[in-house]
Amino acid sequence: MNLKISGMQVFWIILSMNLGMTLVMTLTPSLQAAKQDAWLSIIAAGCIALLIALLVTAVARIFPGQNLIDYAPLVFGTWLGKLVIVIYLVQWYTIIPIVLRQFSDLVNIMLLPETPKQFVILLMVLLIAYATYAGGIEGIGRCSEFLGPIILIMVILVLFANSNNINLKHILPVYADSGLKDIFRGSLAPASYLGHSVEYMMFASFLSKPRKGRAYTIWAVLIANLIVLLTTIIIIAVLGVNLSPNMWYPFFEMTQKISLFGFIDNFDAVPVVIWVSSVFVKLAVYFFLVSYGTAQFLKIKSWRIMIGFIAPVMFVFALIPQNVIEATTNYLQRYWVPIAMPVNMLGLPLLLLVIGTLKKGTGTAAAAGGNSDQ
Amino acid sequence: MNMSRFVKTCRCMLLLIILCMTTGCWDRREMDDLALIMGSGIDLTDSGLIEVSYQIALPTGIPSAVKSGGSQKQVVVISAKGNDLQEALGRIQQQMSRYVYFGHREVFLIGENYARQGLNQVQDLFTRFPETRYNSYVLTAYGATAKEILSTPYPMELIPALAISKIQSSRQSFSVKFDEFLEAFASPGTSPVTAAIRIIHKGTDKESVAIDRAAVYLGNKLSGFTQPAELELLRWWIGDPYRLSFTIQAEPEDKDYKGTISVKSSESSVHVHTRIVDDHPEAKVIFHTVVKVVSNNTRLNLDNEKNRKNIEQQFSRQLQGRFEELLTHVQKGMKSDIFGMGEEIHIEHPYSWKKIRGSWAEIFPAMPVQVEVEFQIEQLGKTHGRAYLEK
Repeated sequence: MNLKISGMQVFWIILSMNLGMTLVMTLTPSLQAAKQDAWLSIIAAGCIALLIALLVTAVARIFPGQNLIDYAPLVFGTWLGKLVIVIYLVQWYTIIPIVLRQFSDLVNIMLLPETPKQFVILLMVLLIAYATYAGGIEGIGRCSEFLGPIILIMVILVLFANSNNINLKHILPVYADSGLKDIFRGSLAPASYLGHSVEYMMFASFLSKPRKGRAYTIWAVLIANLIVLLTTIIIIAVLGVNLSPNMWYPFFEMTQKISLFGFIDNFDAVPVVIWVSSVFVKLAVYFFLVSYGTAQFLKIKSWRIMIGFIAPVMFVFALIPQNVIEATTNYLQRYWVPIAMPVNMLGLPLLLLVIGTLKKGTGTAAAAGGNSDQ
Repeated sequence: MNMSRFVKTCRCMLLLIILCMTTGCWDRREMDDLALIMGSGIDLTDSGLIEVSYQIALPTGIPSAVKSGGSQKQVVVISAKGNDLQEALGRIQQQMSRYVYFGHREVFLIGENYARQGLNQVQDLFTRFPETRYNSYVLTAYGATAKEILSTPYPMELIPALAISKIQSSRQSFSVKFDEFLEAFASPGTSPVTAAIRIIHKGTDKESVAIDRAAVYLGNKLSGFTQPAELELLRWWIGDPYRLSFTIQAEPEDKDYKGTISVKSSESSVHVHTRIVDDHPEAKVIFHTVVKVVSNNTRLNLDNEKNRKNIEQQFSRQLQGRFEELLTHVQKGMKSDIFGMGEEIHIEHPYSWKKIRGSWAEIFPAMPVQVEVEFQIEQLGKTHGRAYLEK
């Protein structure tokens, strides 16, 4: 029950997960590494993200109707398969507290400096627990179908409203200051956040029409890439690259620059809508995956029971980081970029694809081949 | 049955809890708990202390549209001194009954003495502080302290800081916003510049403020001020070149005619071309403008093609001369690259820039800059010739 989603919902889930988080959290590292060529970094990041999307959708197609926890043991054997699942569980279990903490940090820095962070976090935990419990992936899918367009419209609104502040000279000189190495270094952080389509391996099995999922996923990643690229160019053109690498949230600072017709000023509330919606979708999806995945992994009948155990754990974990650098920078630079991206997003899906195709071999080769020309 | 009722109750409770927390009551601020800072300023006193001043709007003192002319005061200026910025800010809070709120701050003033001593503390405080609005204006006080400027009444507006902000946003004034100012500080190829404000009619009851100069910075220190006559040129070069007006002496003055012609521009632009010759940068700046004549106090009839060409040439030559004076003043005298020449070289010759950026402060004052003015008369106003009898 409650566990069927449509292709359109997958599209919006992935788009909203990618968009808000990437825009707010990962542009600073690219700006620091590549300065005015950060947009080239984003193009590189987009290619990596697209590769991830192609990989995971190909994997999901080999095992229709099954999710990662079903097919990892099939591909790698029982014990290695369990290890692989644990690697993914680590990713899911750590990302939730970190995103929760980033959420509360941002709310504290930009909006509510006095509110204790415990309450900001608790609020979000309750919200995602409720969404997951009451709606399951289907509810989350419908939420993102509703929130996704709002996020998209708000981002585009911010970009348009800034069009009178654009100074394209800030983009120049292209390439001369950074070089390939810096551009690539700058692409890692956004690539790792645009690579959230890796979770498609989990929710592909909930698709009501599994064959259609691939196109929706790839479109979602493509559009997210495009908008992040556009936003990066505009951020560079509006803020310049002398100050923006020092800002925690250049996207927010950019919205403060909006001033139209003399009476539209101080648009600060708009990016908050984008950010909170995106955080909510992302957390809810991960929370569902964690609950469902853990239950399935430990062979517990009702995954909903897990919510009651996991929610408090997530709440406590979110309080562990001592400061904003630990939560935002260290996790990104020490786990998400060097481990989660190469292993969870590229390496393991590639292995799953290669070994899965070989193992399936003769039996279902015809079926898999039939799908590939869609 | 019971179970489902229990679940329902739980859900309702959950929703209630969420609802209660979304109000964000920890950070609620009532209007009467806020001190709305309209303008703030920073000074260095003679004894070496930092003095911070706020101009605070008093909402109760502002008359509504119906009742005009309130007798109460509309603003109050509060200031405090300290050994550093934080100490001064702390002292100011000690005399405030309300929470200081910067969301409406329109202008930030830097006292001349403080500016000459260096601005690092200000930059850091204002970039870190979440309530900083990048759209507020930065001005440097000329021949006065920021506190004096903030305390000066302005006859046309209820809140003097709003008057300053309105002058600045009128497009006919030279204005620099906070982010542009900080950006110039952070950029290796541009020096910061702000508008400079001074008190006029000082000591009389007509006291007011005027913005007729620009304050030029070198590094983080104030290097000097431009002349009022140079402000229009600066607007053309680095500001908003909207309706620039120029007057020249086209003919020698005689008893009937002053011999002057005045114009207002309808469109203006600047093109900077840089070259690297033997590792030494050179620049050529071409100013282009299309104008309409707003007054003609000469014997020349501008309907005549030859006269018009003559006037255009005179304008080009004289404006070129004025630009060269401005350059000498700023480039040789104050040694400050407020024109962003370094940034132009960075864009046009990125690889050469890498070699010279470290010593740009020494290279710039010696850099040859050639100025050219392209001047074109487009309109003559409402009349052909003059409307009075020729003598």
